[in-house]
Amino acid sequence: MKQILRITIGLIISCLAAGTIMGSAYVFTAKAKKHNEHQKEQDTMLGLLGYSKGKPAPSALKLYSIYRYVIDEKGSRYLGYIFPVKKGSDLGYGLLVITLEGKFQAYHELKISTDQTLDAAERGKALAATLKGAASFVYSDETVVASLDGKRLAYLLPGHFQGFKTFIKVMLAVDPGYNILGLEIMEHEEDPGLGGDIVQDFFKNQFKNKSYQKLKQLDVVKEPLPEEYRKALEVKKGSMSPEEVQRIRAKYQDNDIYALTGATISSKAVTDGVKGMVKRFAYRVERLERVVQSQKLPAAF
Amino acid sequence: MAHTKKSNSQLFFNGILSENPIFRLALSMCPAVGISTSVMNGILLGVAVLFVQLFSSCTISAIKNYIHPRIRIPTYTLTIATWVTVIDLVLAAYVPAAYKEMGIFVKLIVAFAIITMRLEMFAAKNPLIPSFWDAVGMGLGFLFGMVTLGAVREILGSGTLLGFDLLGAKPLLFFILPAAGFFVVGFMMAIYNYMDLVFKRMKEKKG
Repeated sequence: MKQILRITIGLIISCLAAGTIMGSAYVFTAKAKKHNEHQKEQDTMLGLLGYSKGKPAPSALKLYSIYRYVIDEKGSRYLGYIFPVKKGSDLGYGLLVITLEGKFQAYHELKISTDQTLDAAERGKALAATLKGAASFVYSDETVVASLDGKRLAYLLPGHFQGFKTFIKVMLAVDPGYNILGLEIMEHEEDPGLGGDIVQDFFKNQFKNKSYQKLKQLDVVKEPLPEEYRKALEVKKGSMSPEEVQRIRAKYQDNDIYALTGATISSKAVTDGVKGMVKRFAYRVERLERVVQSQKLPAAF
Repeated sequence: MAHTKKSNSQLFFNGILSENPIFRLALSMCPAVGISTSVMNGILLGVAVLFVQLFSSCTISAIKNYIHPRIRIPTYTLTIATWVTVIDLVLAAYVPAAYKEMGIFVKLIVAFAIITMRLEMFAAKNPLIPSFWDAVGMGLGFLFGMVTLGAVREILGSGTLLGFDLLGAKPLLFFILPAAGFFVVGFMMAIYNYMDLVFKRMKEKKG
């Protein structure tokens, strides 16, 4: 009996000590980890816009984040958008509430700084303070508007959809006409060597430059990827001239997506996911824009 | 308690040469064979193992008098798991580029035979300072083994070293495959054994 007690207490103490060490390590590294993730997202966004280390983004390029919330108040449902507004020479943030039909409901100014908007908890606090607890809200998604010299350059859409096994996290870049500029897979758990090939250039680059018209009825075809198209998609330095790449890619631009061999479900999931994301986004952003313009809100983007 | 009679420097070289974990003790062969396809992989995993071994050995050596003998193995596992988690978190936070490459391997270190074996055989029976040197020696021995395996396999398999093109061709693709890992380990063991033999003969002649 005494032994059992000693063993139990010994195990409890060692588990508590181990837990404390792991917990404090987590606390110390959480901030740096978050910063890394944010940095990675930023890098991916700039990459999709065509900037890289060798070709840095101009300082005039601005990325504005718009956060969408679903708000429930007294039995009815609204959409809440947190977006940056012009406030003198500085950036402020505003909350626009619209009905599901796209009618203006309310506009509040938020007391929140740009750094604070990056943190979901801080945004929640500011929202709760503004809505005064009368409404409950759920975070829905984020859209990033890239603008250069006051001109809208592109929308960047972080998003996720169901893949073969679990969610596929992507980052999508579309131009103001909703034509796709690029697709990047951020996280996925598809089978390595099969569905995992969605991260390969020869798959994800097929989405590049697909027009919105084509995208609306985009599908996958179960045909082998033509050799010259594959080469043009995964072009490495020197193997093909840029004009040649352009020519071949343009030739296949209006085709459907060639499915990955042995991974039709993953290919279809990505295609449908991208299609859905862009269609929903186009619908939403047009409504938002209409309200912002009709109410003459000082939106920064 | 059986205190070791070896000096610190002997303990240090013990792990690298006469008791090298991969080539002499043949422990932790799975990761050694599976991951040592390039020098970089070898270095990354080797360094991670070195740190886990070091922290775990020191912890166990410091608290050995309080561990109930019946639950020593769970305690070792718990200790190793704790340090692996901490190193995993730290790497993810401060060297994300390297972590992207070695993330999955780091979590595997919990199950490495070499670390548990060193805790049971040495750290649990010896004071802090010798345990420290033993851990450093063993960790460096593992790192050395991984780098050697990685170098041989990378040069023969893909014709490069640390990513730089050496040969301009891929001489024997076979060496990249897991099975070839055993080949290289086997040859290295033979070399180690032969060296051992040579040293022994030299000693005999002197004596």
